[in-house]
Amino acid sequence: MQAVTRRVLAGLGLVDRQPAVNAHPELVACEECDAVYVRRLLEAGEVARCARCSAVLGRGHLLAVDGQLALSSGSLVVFVLGNVSDIVTLDLRGVHSQVTLWESIWYTWLSGQEVVALLAGATAFGFPLAVILLRLYVLTPLAAGKRVRGFVPAMRALRWVTRWSMVEVFLFGTLVAIVKIAGLASVVPGVGIFSFGVLTLLLAANQAAGLHGIWQQASKLPP
Amino acid sequence: MVPTAVSRGLLGCECCGLVSEVVAAADYPRCPRCGFALHTRKPQSLQRTTAYLLAAVVLYLPANTLPIMATASAIAGRESHTILGGIIELWHTGSWDLALIVFIASIAVPILKIAALTLLAFTARRKSRWRQAERATLYRVLETVGHWSMLDVFVVVLLVGMVRFGAFASVEPGAGLLAFGGVVVLTMLASSSFDPRLIWPEPATDD
Repeated sequence: MQAVTRRVLAGLGLVDRQPAVNAHPELVACEECDAVYVRRLLEAGEVARCARCSAVLGRGHLLAVDGQLALSSGSLVVFVLGNVSDIVTLDLRGVHSQVTLWESIWYTWLSGQEVVALLAGATAFGFPLAVILLRLYVLTPLAAGKRVRGFVPAMRALRWVTRWSMVEVFLFGTLVAIVKIAGLASVVPGVGIFSFGVLTLLLAANQAAGLHGIWQQASKLPP
Repeated sequence: MVPTAVSRGLLGCECCGLVSEVVAAADYPRCPRCGFALHTRKPQSLQRTTAYLLAAVVLYLPANTLPIMATASAIAGRESHTILGGIIELWHTGSWDLALIVFIASIAVPILKIAALTLLAFTARRKSRWRQAERATLYRVLETVGHWSMLDVFVVVLLVGMVRFGAFASVEPGAGLLAFGGVVVLTMLASSSFDPRLIWPEPATDD
């Protein structure tokens, strides 16, 4: 077989590979400087740091899988709420105007800055939604002691979308926009802005746990 | 002497964190747990970092000179606003605290990020052992604060959505915003392409 074809098929797990590597789950390598340590169980709240570069090697879990699942479900609720409710209501001499995230993105698109609209839509809506849905997809079966179909691609996607989800920056952006506009019209904050506030906290709590814990939990289960 | 994965013939997975031992020569070893390609360092890390950085520097100029938004109102007429102009405006209207935050997010962070990544890439290329712990901290700070520069993009998008009073007052996004968004995305790509393990060249020494 052609080397390239074999490489692609092996990557998809369709052909057996030569066992070129052996797993060492008892070790941990620092992601930022490559120092190796013997893994040990951390107590809840305990943080292990690399002795050489002081990067975080791991955290003791404050939340078990079902706790993380609860956080993700809560995130979904406030995410939906934040997206259907008004962020603010403006009053300019009796003329009212309500604003949602979607309207802002839509009017940015209409005014000719389609790429900016896509960028804002992806980082404030698309990626945060993907983070929440992927977490639910992976954690729901895991809490029941099962490994979901497509666990590996879902976890890889999760790692990527987490990086580009910017709910907290969006929340702060709304605050700056409200202050900027206060001289022009009177502004009443809506349910949307509070929902995004809660969502920021829930996502931060979720992300603090990291993904390595989920990998370890899942690798104890049969595939 | 710190034992490193490379020196023990081990590879740490960049995706799931599992440590593997290379037992047979393979041209393309993959993580046994998640299937992610294993390498001692990210391939072409410095080339990719440099390329993204150069693109960010090129876009930095239009991002700061072109207007990021235009306001039109019955009283003040049509006005264009640059990033710096918006900060000065916030300062004059008495919101010095917000002006400071927007200054940090929109002006200071992108400049410091470009400068810091240039320093990191340059010292990594020279396999320098100068202030390794400090450089490692610098990289971690960059990764944490990087996406906050997106602040101004969200502010303008929200203002466009909020200020829609027809002839009375309206806000339109400007071409500078696109360039600015480009700078933020490119610097984020530059810092994610940089492999912090390059700060610690092999063989590891005892210092």
